[in-house]
Amino acid sequence: MGDRKAGAYGTSTGGDTAFRKTWDRDEYAAKAVERDQRIKEEGKARHEAAAAGKKYVRRASTPPDARDTEARKARLNVADQVGKTSIVPAGAGQGKRGKGAGFYCDACDLTFKDNLQFVEHLNSKQHLVATGESGEVRRATLEEVKDRFEWLKRKRDEETAKDAVDLGTRIENAREIEEKEREEKRRKRNEKRRKTKDGMGVPEVKVENDGNIF
Amino acid sequence: MAHQADAKRALDERGYTGALIRGDNPLKLFEKPVRDRIVDSYYWKEQCFGLNAATLLDRAVELSFIGGTYGVAQKPTPFLCLAFKLLQITPGREIIMFYLEQEEYKYLRALAAFYIRLAWEKDEDVYKTLEPYLNDMRKLKRRTREGWALTYMDQFIDDLLINTRVCATTLPKINPRLFLEDEDRLEPRESALGEELEEMENEDEDAGSEGEVEEVANGDAARNGRSISEQRERSEER
Ligand SMILES: [Zn+2]
Repeated sequence: MGDRKAGAYGTSTGGDTAFRKTWDRDEYAAKAVERDQRIKEEGKARHEAAAAGKKYVRRASTPPDARDTEARKARLNVADQVGKTSIVPAGAGQGKRGKGAGFYCDACDLTFKDNLQFVEHLNSKQHLVATGESGEVRRATLEEVKDRFEWLKRKRDEETAKDAVDLGTRIENAREIEEKEREEKRRKRNEKRRKTKDGMGVPEVKVENDGNIF
Repeated sequence: MAHQADAKRALDERGYTGALIRGDNPLKLFEKPVRDRIVDSYYWKEQCFGLNAATLLDRAVELSFIGGTYGVAQKPTPFLCLAFKLLQITPGREIIMFYLEQEEYKYLRALAAFYIRLAWEKDEDVYKTLEPYLNDMRKLKRRTREGWALTYMDQFIDDLLINTRVCATTLPKINPRLFLEDEDRLEPRESALGEELEEMENEDEDAGSEGEVEEVANGDAARNGRSISEQRERSEER
Protein backbone atom coordinates (compact mmCIF):
# COMPACT_ATOMS: atom_id res chain seq x y z
CA MET A 1 0.00 0.00 0.00
CA GLY A 2 2.98 2.25 0.54
CA ASP A 3 3.64 2.91 -3.08
CA ARG A 4 0.05 3.86 -3.71
CA LYS A 5 0.04 6.36 -0.88
CA ALA A 6 2.86 8.37 -2.33
CA GLY A 7 1.05 8.87 -5.60
CA ALA A 8 -2.34 9.66 -4.13
CA TYR A 9 -1.25 12.96 -2.63
CA GLY A 10 0.42 14.16 -5.76
CA THR A 11 3.51 14.74 -3.68
CA SER A 12 5.66 12.09 -5.22
CA THR A 13 8.24 13.66 -7.44
CA GLY A 14 8.96 11.47 -10.45
CA GLY A 15 6.24 9.94 -12.58
CA ASP A 16 3.20 11.71 -11.26
CA THR A 17 4.32 15.22 -12.04
CA ALA A 18 5.75 14.23 -15.37
CA PHE A 19 2.46 12.64 -16.26
CA ARG A 20 0.57 15.77 -15.37
CA LYS A 21 2.87 17.88 -17.53
CA THR A 22 2.26 15.74 -20.56
CA TRP A 23 -1.39 15.88 -19.83
CA ASP A 24 -1.34 19.65 -19.63
CA ARG A 25 0.47 19.91 -22.92
CA ASP A 26 -2.00 17.61 -24.63
CA GLU A 27 -4.84 19.46 -23.06
CA TYR A 28 -3.59 22.82 -24.23
CA ALA A 29 -3.04 21.49 -27.71
CA ALA A 30 -6.55 20.09 -27.76
CA LYS A 31 -7.97 23.33 -26.45
CA ALA A 32 -6.14 25.37 -29.06
CA VAL A 33 -7.56 23.22 -31.83
CA GLU A 34 -10.99 23.50 -30.30
CA ARG A 35 -10.69 27.26 -30.06
CA ASP A 36 -9.63 27.64 -33.68
CA GLN A 37 -12.51 25.45 -34.72
CA ARG A 38 -14.94 27.50 -32.72
CA ILE A 39 -13.69 30.80 -34.10
CA LYS A 40 -13.98 29.42 -37.61
CA GLU A 41 -17.50 28.18 -37.01
CA GLU A 42 -18.54 31.38 -35.37
CA GLY A 43 -17.19 33.42 -38.26
CA LYS A 44 -19.10 31.29 -40.68
CA ALA A 45 -22.33 31.60 -38.70
CA ARG A 46 -21.85 35.33 -38.42
CA HIS A 47 -21.30 35.59 -42.15
CA GLU A 48 -24.38 33.52 -42.93
CA ALA A 49 -26.49 35.54 -40.55
CA ALA A 50 -25.35 38.77 -42.15
CA ALA A 51 -26.08 37.37 -45.60
CA ALA A 52 -29.60 36.49 -44.48
CA GLY A 53 -30.01 40.00 -43.05
CA LYS A 54 -30.14 38.74 -39.46
CA LYS A 55 -28.16 39.64 -36.42
CA TYR A 56 -25.79 36.94 -35.23
CA VAL A 57 -26.39 35.95 -31.64
CA ARG A 58 -23.81 33.75 -30.06
CA ARG A 59 -25.17 30.81 -28.17
CA ALA A 60 -25.11 31.31 -24.43
CA SER A 61 -22.84 28.40 -23.87
CA THR A 62 -20.91 26.64 -26.54
CA PRO A 63 -20.71 23.05 -25.49
CA PRO A 64 -17.07 22.03 -25.43
CA ASP A 65 -15.99 18.71 -26.76
CA ALA A 66 -15.19 17.40 -23.34
CA ARG A 67 -17.98 16.93 -20.85
CA ASP A 68 -17.64 18.36 -17.38
CA THR A 69 -16.71 15.82 -14.81
CA GLU A 70 -19.60 15.02 -12.54
CA ALA A 71 -19.96 13.35 -9.21
CA ARG A 72 -20.82 9.69 -9.14
CA LYS A 73 -24.54 9.17 -9.30
CA ALA A 74 -24.48 6.47 -6.70
CA ARG A 75 -22.08 4.57 -4.58
CA LEU A 76 -19.97 2.25 -6.62
CA ASN A 77 -21.33 -1.21 -6.21
CA VAL A 78 -18.43 -2.33 -4.15
CA ALA A 79 -19.70 -1.33 -0.75
CA ASP A 80 -19.30 -4.80 0.68
CA GLN A 81 -15.65 -4.75 -0.23
CA VAL A 82 -14.84 -1.42 1.37
CA GLY A 83 -11.76 -1.69 3.50
CA LYS A 84 -10.84 -5.07 2.12
CA THR A 85 -7.89 -3.82 0.17
CA SER A 86 -5.45 -6.61 -0.31
CA ILE A 87 -1.75 -6.07 -0.51
CA VAL A 88 -0.75 -6.12 -4.13
CA PRO A 89 2.69 -6.01 -5.70
CA ALA A 90 4.05 -2.67 -6.84
CA GLY A 91 2.81 -1.63 -10.20
CA ALA A 92 -0.42 -3.55 -9.87
CA GLY A 93 -2.22 -0.25 -9.53
CA GLN A 94 -1.77 0.20 -13.26
CA GLY A 95 -4.40 -2.41 -13.91
CA LYS A 96 -4.21 -5.43 -16.11
CA ARG A 97 -5.08 -5.21 -19.77
CA GLY A 98 -8.31 -6.96 -20.63
CA LYS A 99 -11.12 -8.51 -18.67
CA GLY A 100 -10.18 -10.54 -15.65
CA ALA A 101 -11.06 -11.30 -12.10
CA GLY A 102 -11.64 -8.02 -10.26
CA PHE A 103 -13.00 -4.64 -11.25
CA TYR A 104 -13.16 -4.06 -14.95
CA CYS A 105 -13.17 -0.67 -16.66
CA ASP A 106 -14.91 -0.95 -19.97
CA ALA A 107 -13.67 2.36 -21.34
CA CYS A 108 -10.01 1.58 -20.75
CA ASP A 109 -10.17 -2.21 -21.01
CA LEU A 110 -8.36 -2.60 -17.72
CA THR A 111 -8.98 -4.81 -14.73
CA PHE A 112 -8.17 -3.82 -11.16
CA LYS A 113 -7.65 -6.03 -8.20
CA ASP A 114 -9.73 -4.14 -5.70
CA ASN A 115 -12.26 -1.37 -5.37
CA LEU A 116 -9.73 1.14 -4.10
CA GLN A 117 -7.52 0.77 -7.15
CA PHE A 118 -10.62 0.82 -9.30
CA VAL A 119 -11.83 4.09 -7.80
CA GLU A 120 -8.39 5.60 -8.11
CA HIS A 121 -8.42 4.62 -11.75
CA LEU A 122 -11.86 6.17 -12.30
CA ASN A 123 -10.49 9.41 -10.86
CA SER A 124 -7.34 9.32 -12.95
CA LYS A 125 -6.55 11.50 -15.93
CA GLN A 126 -6.06 8.38 -17.98
CA HIS A 127 -9.65 7.34 -17.39
CA LEU A 128 -11.05 10.85 -17.79
CA VAL A 129 -9.34 11.21 -21.14
CA ALA A 130 -10.63 7.80 -22.22
CA THR A 131 -14.18 8.79 -21.34
CA GLY A 132 -13.91 12.26 -22.82
CA GLU A 133 -14.18 14.13 -19.56
CA SER A 134 -12.35 17.32 -18.81
CA GLY A 135 -11.68 16.63 -15.14
CA GLU A 136 -13.17 20.02 -14.44
CA VAL A 137 -16.29 20.39 -12.39
CA ARG A 138 -18.76 23.07 -13.31
CA ARG A 139 -19.73 25.45 -10.53
CA ALA A 140 -23.30 25.16 -9.37
CA THR A 141 -25.55 28.19 -9.13
CA LEU A 142 -27.77 28.95 -6.15
CA GLU A 143 -30.74 27.97 -8.31
CA GLU A 144 -29.23 24.57 -8.99
CA VAL A 145 -28.47 24.11 -5.32
CA LYS A 146 -32.07 24.89 -4.43
CA ASP A 147 -33.44 22.59 -7.13
CA ARG A 148 -31.21 19.78 -5.99
CA PHE A 149 -32.30 20.33 -2.41
CA GLU A 150 -35.98 20.20 -3.34
CA TRP A 151 -35.40 17.06 -5.37
CA LEU A 152 -33.61 15.34 -2.49
CA LYS A 153 -36.37 16.33 -0.12
CA ARG A 154 -39.01 15.01 -2.49
CA LYS A 155 -37.08 11.80 -2.91
CA ARG A 156 -36.82 11.35 0.82
CA ASP A 157 -40.51 12.05 1.33
CA GLU A 158 -41.46 9.61 -1.40
CA GLU A 159 -39.29 6.95 0.12
CA THR A 160 -40.81 7.54 3.53
CA ALA A 161 -44.28 7.34 2.03
CA LYS A 162 -43.36 4.17 0.15
CA ASP A 163 -41.98 2.63 3.30
CA ALA A 164 -45.22 3.48 5.05
CA VAL A 165 -47.20 1.90 2.22
CA ASP A 166 -44.92 -1.12 2.29
CA LEU A 167 -45.45 -1.44 5.99
CA GLY A 168 -49.21 -1.03 5.49
CA THR A 169 -49.17 -3.70 2.78
CA ARG A 170 -47.15 -6.01 4.94
CA ILE A 171 -49.57 -5.60 7.81
CA GLU A 172 -52.48 -6.14 5.44
CA ASN A 173 -50.89 -9.28 4.00
CA ALA A 174 -50.12 -10.63 7.43
CA ARG A 175 -53.70 -10.02 8.43
CA GLU A 176 -54.99 -11.87 5.37
CA ILE A 177 -52.73 -14.82 6.00
CA GLU A 178 -53.77 -14.91 9.61
CA GLU A 179 -57.41 -14.74 8.60
CA LYS A 180 -56.96 -17.64 6.17
CA GLU A 181 -55.22 -19.73 8.78
CA ARG A 182 -57.98 -19.00 11.23
CA GLU A 183 -60.58 -20.02 8.65
CA GLU A 184 -58.73 -23.23 7.94
CA LYS A 185 -58.58 -24.04 11.62
CA ARG A 186 -62.28 -23.32 11.98
CA ARG A 187 -63.06 -25.59 9.05
CA LYS A 188 -61.02 -28.44 10.47
CA ARG A 189 -62.55 -27.99 13.87
CA ASN A 190 -66.04 -28.07 12.43
CA GLU A 191 -65.21 -31.14 10.40
CA LYS A 192 -63.92 -32.90 13.46
CA ARG A 193 -66.97 -31.93 15.39
CA ARG A 194 -69.23 -33.29 12.68
CA LYS A 195 -67.34 -36.55 12.63
CA THR A 196 -67.61 -37.10 16.32
CA LYS A 197 -71.25 -36.01 16.43
CA ASP A 198 -72.77 -38.67 14.24
CA GLY A 199 -69.97 -41.18 14.83
CA MET A 200 -70.63 -42.61 11.41
CA GLY A 201 -67.10 -43.40 10.41
CA VAL A 202 -65.27 -41.23 7.89
CA PRO A 203 -67.46 -39.31 5.48
CA GLU A 204 -64.69 -38.61 3.00
CA VAL A 205 -64.06 -42.28 2.42
CA LYS A 206 -67.70 -42.77 1.71
CA VAL A 207 -67.73 -39.99 -0.80
CA GLU A 208 -64.63 -41.35 -2.39
CA ASN A 209 -66.06 -44.81 -2.70
CA ASP A 210 -69.23 -43.45 -4.12
CA GLY A 211 -67.44 -41.41 -6.65
CA ASN A 212 -65.19 -44.16 -7.87
CA ILE A 213 -66.62 -46.60 -10.31
CA PHE A 214 -64.43 -49.59 -10.81
CA MET B 1 -14.59 29.18 -12.23
CA ALA B 2 -14.67 25.44 -12.47
CA HIS B 3 -12.61 23.37 -10.12
CA GLN B 4 -10.80 20.08 -10.53
CA ALA B 5 -12.72 16.95 -9.69
CA ASP B 6 -10.12 15.90 -7.16
CA ALA B 7 -7.86 17.98 -4.96
CA LYS B 8 -4.51 16.92 -6.33
CA ARG B 9 -3.78 20.10 -8.16
CA ALA B 10 -5.30 22.28 -5.45
CA LEU B 11 -3.00 20.64 -2.94
CA ASP B 12 0.02 21.19 -5.12
CA GLU B 13 1.26 24.34 -3.45
CA ARG B 14 3.50 25.43 -6.29
CA GLY B 15 0.81 26.44 -8.73
CA TYR B 16 -2.33 27.14 -6.73
CA THR B 17 -4.53 29.64 -8.55
CA GLY B 18 -7.92 29.09 -6.93
CA ALA B 19 -9.91 31.21 -4.52
CA LEU B 20 -8.06 32.48 -1.46
CA ILE B 21 -9.26 32.54 2.12
CA ARG B 22 -7.25 34.66 4.51
CA GLY B 23 -4.77 35.14 1.71
CA ASP B 24 -4.03 31.48 1.35
CA ASN B 25 -5.20 28.26 -0.23
CA PRO B 26 -8.36 27.37 1.76
CA LEU B 27 -7.41 23.70 1.89
CA LYS B 28 -4.52 24.66 4.13
CA LEU B 29 -6.99 25.51 6.88
CA PHE B 30 -6.79 21.80 7.58
CA GLU B 31 -3.50 20.60 8.93
CA LYS B 32 -1.29 18.56 6.66
CA PRO B 33 -1.75 15.17 8.41
CA VAL B 34 -5.52 15.60 8.32
CA ARG B 35 -5.41 16.66 4.68
CA ASP B 36 -3.40 13.60 3.84
CA ARG B 37 -5.79 11.32 5.66
CA ILE B 38 -8.75 12.88 3.87
CA VAL B 39 -7.43 12.60 0.33
CA ASP B 40 -6.27 9.07 1.09
CA SER B 41 -9.64 7.96 2.44
CA TYR B 42 -11.97 5.81 0.45
CA TYR B 43 -14.90 8.10 1.17
CA TRP B 44 -13.04 11.00 -0.37
CA LYS B 45 -12.04 9.07 -3.46
CA GLU B 46 -15.36 7.45 -4.07
CA GLN B 47 -17.89 9.93 -2.75
CA CYS B 48 -16.30 13.36 -3.01
CA PHE B 49 -14.87 13.18 -6.50
CA GLY B 50 -16.47 15.65 -8.89
CA LEU B 51 -18.90 17.20 -6.42
CA ASN B 52 -20.09 20.75 -6.84
CA ALA B 53 -22.20 22.80 -4.45
CA ALA B 54 -25.38 21.16 -5.74
CA THR B 55 -24.31 17.52 -5.89
CA LEU B 56 -22.57 17.86 -2.54
CA LEU B 57 -26.08 17.97 -1.10
CA ASP B 58 -26.55 14.32 -2.11
CA ARG B 59 -23.86 13.41 0.37
CA ALA B 60 -24.64 16.02 3.00
CA VAL B 61 -28.24 14.91 3.43
CA GLU B 62 -26.93 11.46 4.23
CA LEU B 63 -24.67 12.63 7.03
CA SER B 64 -25.66 11.13 10.35
CA PHE B 65 -22.93 12.45 12.61
CA ILE B 66 -20.32 15.15 12.95
CA GLY B 67 -16.72 14.68 14.02
CA GLY B 68 -13.10 14.96 13.04
CA THR B 69 -11.01 11.83 12.87
CA TYR B 70 -11.51 8.56 14.67
CA GLY B 71 -9.97 5.23 15.46
CA VAL B 72 -6.36 4.22 15.71
CA ALA B 73 -5.84 5.15 12.06
CA GLN B 74 -7.49 8.53 12.68
CA LYS B 75 -9.87 8.04 9.82
CA PRO B 76 -11.62 11.23 8.74
CA THR B 77 -15.41 11.36 9.11
CA PRO B 78 -17.59 12.02 6.05
CA PHE B 79 -18.44 15.32 7.78
CA LEU B 80 -14.79 16.35 7.73
CA CYS B 81 -14.32 15.19 4.13
CA LEU B 82 -17.31 17.24 2.98
CA ALA B 83 -16.04 20.29 4.86
CA PHE B 84 -12.75 19.84 3.03
CA LYS B 85 -14.62 19.59 -0.26
CA LEU B 86 -16.44 22.81 0.55
CA LEU B 87 -13.11 24.51 1.13
CA GLN B 88 -12.06 23.29 -2.30
CA ILE B 89 -15.25 24.47 -3.99
CA THR B 90 -15.57 27.70 -1.97
CA PRO B 91 -19.25 28.17 -2.84
CA GLY B 92 -20.73 31.65 -2.85
CA ARG B 93 -22.00 33.14 0.37
CA GLU B 94 -25.63 32.78 -0.69
CA ILE B 95 -25.19 29.04 -1.17
CA ILE B 96 -23.59 28.59 2.23
CA MET B 97 -26.42 30.63 3.75
CA PHE B 98 -28.92 28.36 2.04
CA TYR B 99 -27.23 25.32 3.59
CA LEU B 100 -27.30 27.02 6.96
CA GLU B 101 -30.84 28.31 6.90
CA GLN B 102 -32.65 25.20 5.67
CA GLU B 103 -34.38 23.29 8.44
CA GLU B 104 -34.65 19.81 6.98
CA TYR B 105 -31.16 18.43 7.41
CA LYS B 106 -29.44 19.32 10.65
CA TYR B 107 -26.08 17.89 9.68
CA LEU B 108 -26.06 20.08 6.59
CA ARG B 109 -26.60 23.05 8.88
CA ALA B 110 -23.76 21.91 11.12
CA LEU B 111 -21.54 21.56 8.06
CA ALA B 112 -22.35 25.08 6.90
CA ALA B 113 -21.69 26.45 10.39
CA PHE B 114 -18.31 24.73 10.50
CA TYR B 115 -17.44 26.10 7.07
CA ILE B 116 -18.49 29.63 8.00
CA ARG B 117 -16.32 29.56 11.11
CA LEU B 118 -13.39 28.37 9.01
CA ALA B 119 -13.79 30.45 5.89
CA TRP B 120 -15.45 33.73 6.73
CA GLU B 121 -12.94 36.38 7.46
CA LYS B 122 -14.90 39.00 9.37
CA ASP B 123 -15.35 38.11 13.04
CA GLU B 124 -18.58 40.03 13.40
CA ASP B 125 -20.05 38.22 10.38
CA VAL B 126 -19.27 34.90 11.97
CA TYR B 127 -20.95 35.86 15.25
CA LYS B 128 -23.96 37.45 13.62
CA THR B 129 -24.50 34.54 11.27
CA LEU B 130 -23.98 31.71 13.71
CA GLU B 131 -25.46 33.04 16.93
CA PRO B 132 -29.11 32.70 15.85
CA TYR B 133 -28.55 28.94 15.78
CA LEU B 134 -27.80 28.92 19.48
CA ASN B 135 -31.57 28.45 19.60
CA ASP B 136 -31.41 25.19 17.69
CA MET B 137 -31.46 22.49 20.35
CA ARG B 138 -31.56 19.50 18.07
CA LYS B 139 -29.40 16.56 19.00
CA LEU B 140 -26.26 15.81 17.02
CA LYS B 141 -24.33 12.59 17.08
CA ARG B 142 -20.60 13.12 17.28
CA ARG B 143 -17.95 10.60 16.43
CA THR B 144 -15.08 10.95 18.87
CA ARG B 145 -11.59 9.53 18.71
CA GLU B 146 -12.67 6.46 20.65
CA GLY B 147 -16.39 6.24 20.24
CA TRP B 148 -19.56 8.29 20.16
CA ALA B 149 -20.92 11.28 22.02
CA LEU B 150 -24.15 13.19 22.05
CA THR B 151 -24.14 16.91 21.52
CA TYR B 152 -26.59 19.56 20.37
CA MET B 153 -26.62 22.10 17.59
CA ASP B 154 -26.41 25.01 20.02
CA GLN B 155 -23.52 23.35 21.81
CA PHE B 156 -21.73 22.79 18.53
CA ILE B 157 -22.21 26.44 17.54
CA ASP B 158 -20.99 27.46 20.97
CA ASP B 159 -17.91 25.26 20.50
CA LEU B 160 -17.24 26.92 17.17
CA LEU B 161 -17.39 30.38 18.70
CA ILE B 162 -15.45 29.65 21.87
CA ASN B 163 -13.14 26.68 21.39
CA THR B 164 -9.92 26.76 19.43
CA ARG B 165 -10.14 23.20 18.15
CA VAL B 166 -13.22 21.56 16.69
CA CYS B 167 -13.44 18.42 14.56
CA ALA B 168 -9.70 17.78 14.29
CA THR B 169 -9.19 21.32 13.08
CA THR B 170 -7.55 24.33 14.66
CA LEU B 171 -10.01 27.13 14.04
CA PRO B 172 -8.71 30.45 12.71
CA LYS B 173 -8.28 33.10 15.37
CA ILE B 174 -11.43 35.00 16.20
CA ASN B 175 -11.76 37.91 18.60
CA PRO B 176 -13.93 37.27 21.66
CA ARG B 177 -17.40 38.68 21.46
CA LEU B 178 -16.80 41.12 24.32
CA PHE B 179 -13.80 42.57 22.54
CA LEU B 180 -15.89 43.19 19.42
CA GLU B 181 -18.58 44.79 21.56
CA ASP B 182 -16.01 47.10 23.10
CA GLU B 183 -14.82 48.01 19.64
CA ASP B 184 -18.42 48.74 18.63
CA ARG B 185 -18.21 46.09 15.97
CA LEU B 186 -20.98 44.08 17.56
CA GLU B 187 -24.11 44.97 19.48
CA PRO B 188 -24.48 43.13 22.77
CA ARG B 189 -26.34 39.94 22.11
CA GLU B 190 -29.94 39.77 23.11
CA SER B 191 -30.81 36.14 23.20
CA ALA B 192 -34.38 35.06 23.43
CA LEU B 193 -33.10 32.26 25.56
CA GLY B 194 -31.45 34.67 27.94
CA GLU B 195 -34.71 36.45 28.55
CA GLU B 196 -36.45 33.19 29.04
CA LEU B 197 -33.81 32.17 31.49
CA GLU B 198 -34.27 35.37 33.44
CA GLU B 199 -38.00 34.79 33.57
CA MET B 200 -37.46 31.30 34.80
CA GLU B 201 -35.14 32.50 37.48
CA ASN B 202 -37.82 34.90 38.64
CA GLU B 203 -40.31 32.09 38.68
CA ASP B 204 -37.90 29.99 40.67
CA GLU B 205 -37.60 32.76 43.21
CA ASP B 206 -41.36 32.98 43.47
CA ALA B 207 -41.57 29.28 44.07
CA GLY B 208 -39.21 29.63 47.01
CA SER B 209 -36.81 26.91 47.97
CA GLU B 210 -38.59 24.23 45.99
CA GLY B 211 -37.08 25.40 42.73
CA GLU B 212 -33.59 25.24 44.10
CA VAL B 213 -34.00 21.70 45.32
CA GLU B 214 -35.19 20.68 41.89
CA GLU B 215 -32.25 22.35 40.28
CA VAL B 216 -29.78 20.53 42.45
CA ALA B 217 -31.55 17.28 41.80
CA ASN B 218 -31.34 17.73 38.06
CA GLY B 219 -27.97 19.39 38.06
CA ASP B 220 -25.09 17.62 36.43
CA ALA B 221 -21.80 17.98 38.21
CA ALA B 222 -19.96 17.00 35.08
CA ARG B 223 -21.31 19.99 33.19
CA ASN B 224 -18.61 22.34 32.16
CA GLY B 225 -20.58 25.26 33.49
CA ARG B 226 -20.82 27.06 30.18
CA SER B 227 -23.83 29.22 29.85
CA ILE B 228 -25.21 27.45 26.81
CA SER B 229 -25.31 24.05 28.39
CA GLU B 230 -26.91 25.47 31.48
CA GLN B 231 -29.48 27.30 29.50
CA ARG B 232 -30.43 24.23 27.59
CA GLU B 233 -30.55 22.13 30.69
CA ARG B 234 -32.99 24.52 32.19
CA SER B 235 -35.13 24.92 29.14
CA GLU B 236 -35.37 21.16 28.89
CA GLU B 237 -36.58 21.02 32.46
CA ARG B 238 -39.57 23.09 31.56
ZN1 LIG C 1 -11.01 3.62 -17.23
